Amino acid sequence: MKSKILALFFLIVSFQFASAQKYVSKNGHIRFYSHTPMENIEADNRQVASILDVSNGEIVFTLLEKAFEFKVALMQEHFNENYMESDKFPKASFKGKITNYSKVDFKKDGVYPAEVTGDLSLHGVTKPFTTKGSIQVKGTTITAMAKFVLVPQNFDIKIPQLVENKIAKEMEVNVDITYNPY
Amino acid sequence: MTYNTKRFFLAGIVLAVLLGFMGWHWMFRPADTSVASKKTEVVIEADALIKAYSSNEDSTNTLYLNKVVAVTGNIDNITEKDQEISVYLKKKEESTGVMCSFYKTELDKNSIKAGQVISVKGICTGFLMDVVLTKCSIVK
Repeated sequence: MKSKILALFFLIVSFQFASAQKYVSKNGHIRFYSHTPMENIEADNRQVASILDVSNGEIVFTLLEKAFEFKVALMQEHFNENYMESDKFPKASFKGKITNYSKVDFKKDGVYPAEVTGDLSLHGVTKPFTTKGSIQVKGTTITAMAKFVLVPQNFDIKIPQLVENKIAKEMEVNVDITYNPY
Repeated sequence: MTYNTKRFFLAGIVLAVLLGFMGWHWMFRPADTSVASKKTEVVIEADALIKAYSSNEDSTNTLYLNKVVAVTGNIDNITEKDQEISVYLKKKEESTGVMCSFYKTELDKNSIKAGQVISVKGICTGFLMDVVLTKCSIVK
């Protein structure tokens, strides 16, 4: 009986320890932006889900294409119907690792540079992806930030010739995710 | 040019300008910030929606994706970031819920509190860790 209680105690303690290593966000913010002669194209997705495991630096993002919000209604329609084909490919995801995670002290407040490497899936195409960003630790919250450039054509996103010049070939992407302990 | 043809041309130009203006307006019409004025297409309990998504995401997407869905559930927590307020509907004992995003202009944060049961309508954008509704508004 005693050993069972002891075992249970250790189980609970180890479980709590394990869960304390994981941080989660359900309201991450990803924005993309591109400048065109006619009008700037920008969209925000504020429902990005992400899990960060601080014990090994593993990081996963997923987002729903339809949760990207544009200022102009027609742009959002075109984005979902013509470019991203959101009915066919409803999600985008990234699965990877903070390669220098051992240099980040997740227990000490501060801003740390971070390098992320992994696989990015977009529009049904998966490509290796690496970028630089930063990690901010403040109490029990962790904020991950990154800024990079994506080329839609690399992900088989076809842009009709008619509007080719109106749509930039590169998109600037901003990531801003605030995590809380899971 | 006779008076009549002149008048005809003038009317044509006015019409073309008007049409162009209307077309321009239509093309750059702003996106809605809430579904308040939209017709509700599906009414469902938060629990039932979560269960449907947890058991089969693809088939549930065909039913609800991109539709104006009204859900009723228990508020687990309310968070605020930039110009959005997220109301998370979830039962205490469950691990998945419905994440409802409101524009700040659409919701007075002090009018609701955790533990309360509310009805919210929004556009169902799919399922990640939770079911996601965007551009939400409170159903009276």
